[in-house]
Amino acid sequence: MAGRGDGGDGAGARQHVFLLPECLKDASKKMTSGLMFVKLVRPCSGEGALYLFNMCLPQLFEIKVFKEKHHSWFINQSVQSGGLLHFATPMDPLFLLLHYLIKADKEGKFQPLDQVVVDDMFPNCILLLKLPELEKLLRHVTEEKEIGKKKYYKYSKEKTLKWLGKKVNQTVAALKTNNINVGARVQSAAFFPGHQISSDKEEDYIRYAHGLISDYISKELSDDLSKYLKLPEPSASLPNPPSKKVKLSDEPVEAREDYTKFNTKDLKTEKKNSKMTAAQKALAKVDKTGMKSIDSFFGAKNKKKVGKI
Amino acid sequence: MDFRELERDNMGRCRLNSPVPAVCRKEPCVLGVDEAGRGPVLGPMVYAICYCPLSRLADLEALKVADSKTLSESERDRLFAKMEEDGDFVGWALDVLSPNLISTSMLGRVKYNLNSLSHDTAVGLVQHALDQGVKVVQVFVDTVGLPETYQERLQQRFPSIEVTVKAKADALYPVVSAASICAKVARDQAVKNWQFVEKLQDLDTNYGSGYPNDPKTKVWLRKHVEPVFGFPQFVRFSWRTAQSILEKEAESILWWVSQWCCEEGGGLGLSPAWEGCPPGRWSLSPLLTHREDLPTGDQEGLGRITSYFNESPRNCPHLPHRYFQERGLESATTL
Amino acid sequence: MDSEKEDIGKNRIHLRPVTLLNVTPVTLHLLPCEVRVNRPAPVARFFTPAIRQGPDGLEVSFRGRSLRGEEVEVPPGLVGYVMVTEEKGEVSIGKQDFSEGSHSDEPEQELVEPPEALERDFDRFISASASFSRFTLWGLETIPGPDAKVRAALTWPSLAAAIHAQVPED
Repeated sequence: MAGRGDGGDGAGARQHVFLLPECLKDASKKMTSGLMFVKLVRPCSGEGALYLFNMCLPQLFEIKVFKEKHHSWFINQSVQSGGLLHFATPMDPLFLLLHYLIKADKEGKFQPLDQVVVDDMFPNCILLLKLPELEKLLRHVTEEKEIGKKKYYKYSKEKTLKWLGKKVNQTVAALKTNNINVGARVQSAAFFPGHQISSDKEEDYIRYAHGLISDYISKELSDDLSKYLKLPEPSASLPNPPSKKVKLSDEPVEAREDYTKFNTKDLKTEKKNSKMTAAQKALAKVDKTGMKSIDSFFGAKNKKKVGKI
Repeated sequence: MDFRELERDNMGRCRLNSPVPAVCRKEPCVLGVDEAGRGPVLGPMVYAICYCPLSRLADLEALKVADSKTLSESERDRLFAKMEEDGDFVGWALDVLSPNLISTSMLGRVKYNLNSLSHDTAVGLVQHALDQGVKVVQVFVDTVGLPETYQERLQQRFPSIEVTVKAKADALYPVVSAASICAKVARDQAVKNWQFVEKLQDLDTNYGSGYPNDPKTKVWLRKHVEPVFGFPQFVRFSWRTAQSILEKEAESILWWVSQWCCEEGGGLGLSPAWEGCPPGRWSLSPLLTHREDLPTGDQEGLGRITSYFNESPRNCPHLPHRYFQERGLESATTL
Repeated sequence: MDSEKEDIGKNRIHLRPVTLLNVTPVTLHLLPCEVRVNRPAPVARFFTPAIRQGPDGLEVSFRGRSLRGEEVEVPPGLVGYVMVTEEKGEVSIGKQDFSEGSHSDEPEQELVEPPEALERDFDRFISASASFSRFTLWGLETIPGPDAKVRAALTWPSLAAAIHAQVPED
């Protein structure tokens, strides 16, 4: 544990390996508090995820974690299981605000932002209201009215799709400059950038960028965005876009211990797909088309976005 | 014998040799191959060759060389010194295979068992003699595994040499006895002067014979278990004796080997799943054919295999985009 | 992962800003195996002295298995930290001086609320104990190389920056 004179090598303490933007280090020179990890909603799933706030700037960061099976860290004179590597990267808060604006749109009226951004599950969402230039951000996705000195907002699907379209465009540009392989190929090819770039079509880039953006918006909005971008229906063989609302725990996942079945398969094929777990593979095979409607019956109010868009 | 090179780095393989006697480059020579330290769980295994001209074989016999196991340590040292004195017609070379090399070979993803390692080392030494210009016409080898297949293999490899592989060759042929003395002297010296790569505290050098059934050796092993690292590299991790101590007294480790992983150490009680192994990889290897003089059949300590699918992403209802899947990235949910 | 129920939703884990400054360097090795415990381990006595520079990268062995490794740099613009969560009730550096508040150069960026409101009794605290700019990545028998998953993961921050950049106004 920190400050116990063992060089921070923690006897049994959980240590986290993090990569933070340098700006956080610089910001911390001026502050004694105000950096905090909180749990907020993940708009794509309704589940909770970890975010980091810098309340002094203020700024929002998303936390991703790198996980690879059977890895561990040696951290100075200690061993830490899991081998996790956490990334904090700046996050556009509008994705989170959008989640609440869509939810609030059920009411069908203009509302002040502090009535929109409320969440019993994740009460820390009120911290979002402290972020700077919210009014400017909200213009991308809402209609607004000013009564007295108070602003009232209403979700605008039309403006949102336009905004998301721009997000897709800037993501496409970054995919190209980062030489990310976006074609529908075996996954390992993605790790040899600059290889087959010329053969990747513009549509592949747009679909890929759409998939990335879909990690930050609801399934419904993702579908609408797909239509807005005039993307053809993805062929069934593609692993994306993933169905976001499949409730895995109740699905008959391929038996974990059924080695007999596994052994009969061609090992070469297995190797190609080794980046997916058995359950993921099983999932890829499941027909998910009928599940959305069923899901909406059970959707918990706070978790699911049932509002008509 | 100059062990400085071995002492500088004893994690791999180290070759030492005498100068080649001039006569061995001119006259047809007989060459013997033997090894020392095959059975012990501690320290290196040493492979040695010894050679002399056919015409001087009687002189070698006159030294009264015998199977190194029948000689005391001081007799072996004396005989080795005599062979050095007779450096005008007796030459030798040896390979010290570090315990680390043995462990990593035997525990490798592509299994490299001790027999193959031994055979390849013997071949390498004979070739080394040839490369040095020794006119080898006859080779005698003490057997490792089945003499017939080994002999066939060596004969194929060296078609112009008359190869004889025989059990107890070290007692039958003086040139093999001489090789066995070289090997044993080198092994003893290497063990005695072993430079531990680890920075060990209160190291106890009372390791006994190093054979797994030696109580002193067992006590030493138990005393030097480190829960995370297991043992110092002086120990052959691939020996069953070592593995079973780790299973009880060290932390459990899971190795990532393509889809299959290998669990070893610890006692977490994951069910072994041999059925799940792809054929030929990570399966139980056939037992080695041991030499009768080996104290125990201890050379194949294997970790248990567990399935790759120990966990499923059941509690993750959202499949992230392929970009994230390919990079092992997901949204963090806890700290 | 062990999800701690108490953290769900409500709680905040405060990262002590002062610990992000001037933290001591840490040596990190990412191993291709799972050691299932978090505990002290004599890395400097057993592991580090055995590392050799081989023809194709670093070489070492762990538990009798051969590892090949290479140094991986933290991408520019990022700083690596090892963080440790503090036990509840543990008093540590950085907590004492709320009174000073935060004085930023730009007045409009001052906190709207006093910091006391951000830190509540039930919140947890986390501190950076060390920092790093590189780590050693190990593969079982083969060098992880350019297609190592973690190398690909390290490209995430640059793509994230593009995804989350503000879009231009019309």
